[in-house]
Amino acid sequence: MGWYHLSLVGLVITACILQQFSPAFESLYEGRILVVPLVFLCAAVTVNVGPMLLLAFIGGFLWDAQHVITPPLEELRGNPEVYIDPNEDVIFGYSIILYAMMGFFMQGIQPLFREGRWHISALLSGVAIFLYLSVEYLFITFVRGDLVLTRSLFLKISFTSLLTMFLCPVVFWALYRLADLFHHTISYEGLKKPRRGAGN
Amino acid sequence: MKPTNFFALVIFLWGVIWVLTLSEGTVRWIQQAYYGAISPFLKGGSAMEMKARDFLNEIENSKDLGNQLSAVQEEYVKLRSIEGRLRELESENNELRRALEFKEKQRLNVIAARVIKRQPSTWWETAIIDRGQSSDIGAGVPIIAPGGLAGKVDIASEDTCSIILLTDERCQVSVQVAGTPEVGILHGGRGRYGEEPRLILRHLSREAAILPGMKVITTGKGGLFPSNLLVGTVKEYTPGPVEGVALVKPSVNFSELGVVFVIAHRTGEEEG
Repeated sequence: MGWYHLSLVGLVITACILQQFSPAFESLYEGRILVVPLVFLCAAVTVNVGPMLLLAFIGGFLWDAQHVITPPLEELRGNPEVYIDPNEDVIFGYSIILYAMMGFFMQGIQPLFREGRWHISALLSGVAIFLYLSVEYLFITFVRGDLVLTRSLFLKISFTSLLTMFLCPVVFWALYRLADLFHHTISYEGLKKPRRGAGN
Repeated sequence: MKPTNFFALVIFLWGVIWVLTLSEGTVRWIQQAYYGAISPFLKGGSAMEMKARDFLNEIENSKDLGNQLSAVQEEYVKLRSIEGRLRELESENNELRRALEFKEKQRLNVIAARVIKRQPSTWWETAIIDRGQSSDIGAGVPIIAPGGLAGKVDIASEDTCSIILLTDERCQVSVQVAGTPEVGILHGGRGRYGEEPRLILRHLSREAAILPGMKVITTGKGGLFPSNLLVGTVKEYTPGPVEGVALVKPSVNFSELGVVFVIAHRTGEEEG
């Protein structure tokens, strides 16, 4: 664990702050830029499994601290004879698992990234966001019941993934700057496959 | 798998289990602390969002004025700009007057609050207001807006509150269709975005005499919300083999939720 990894923790926390400045675009089916998941996904591709899991834990924990609706206290649940329907929902901490899953997905394309093909990682981060949101929605549906799949839902997930993906180069640029600053190597030129006919 | 990765995975799983088994009280404490920490940024984000909106409005106005520049004199353009600004102020003034009148009409003791962040979450219909525990607001307190019931407080930090809107599936309200004996539980829908919100009213009689346009009000039963608050109007009623279900159009315009009122103390009727 080096300074670079610590700076990534700082970057995830900064992303939580920046997320507060990201509005939902009503004209794009309430699509938004998911800054925290994006920073995590981009950072995950630059580190090994251990630091990736640490970032997943911190990112998922902070994400749920803001977003998950915790069941109300016993005295605030209302009369059970009137409110007979169970008000089940996902529990605090589920995002940590989702983040880790997406982190492993991004680790799968790490060799490409280390060869310097960051643009492929940028495209795949959009795919990862799409998968993340789809799994999250299905997870919520599984807990609450009644599978509701609509066109606007698909468009919301798609627009959110696209909007988030467009910000990917900025995050990779920040990661490269941090890597330079803390003398951390995230790109190995030696991994590049030699071109046929090139060299001796 | 490398031993170090295996070791990291074991520690991670232990951490996940620890978080998943946290008590509800601890989670609420964590969320309160989190909201307390980010509230300055939330307010900053809200101010920035408003400035951006003003800027976009200004651009639109500039475009309109630009089209007229060829036809009118410079002085006229200046006057139009001033007039536009005055209209904006007039509109704001009217909105505040309406809000004030609404507050005066209420029998409930309410605290006015401004919505500083709409829809901070992807899947949950929530908002953040600029009042919190410092204004004696706690979790579970009902929120009303011009039009009727808007939701309830979820997490209250020192200066801000996260509120669950009526349009969220998790916000359940005991309601009655006005003019009928029909009572049921109303909650928000899921999976519809970028369109007019609709609420779902369940547990009605199989063949209730419910017609579109009928008003839906809170019953006051259940101990969560005061009675006789308008919630919406029936849009559609579907009888079923076991129970009837109605779709309700909310009376509050959630897309323009600017000022809301937190019910502080009930001065009128008691709840059932």
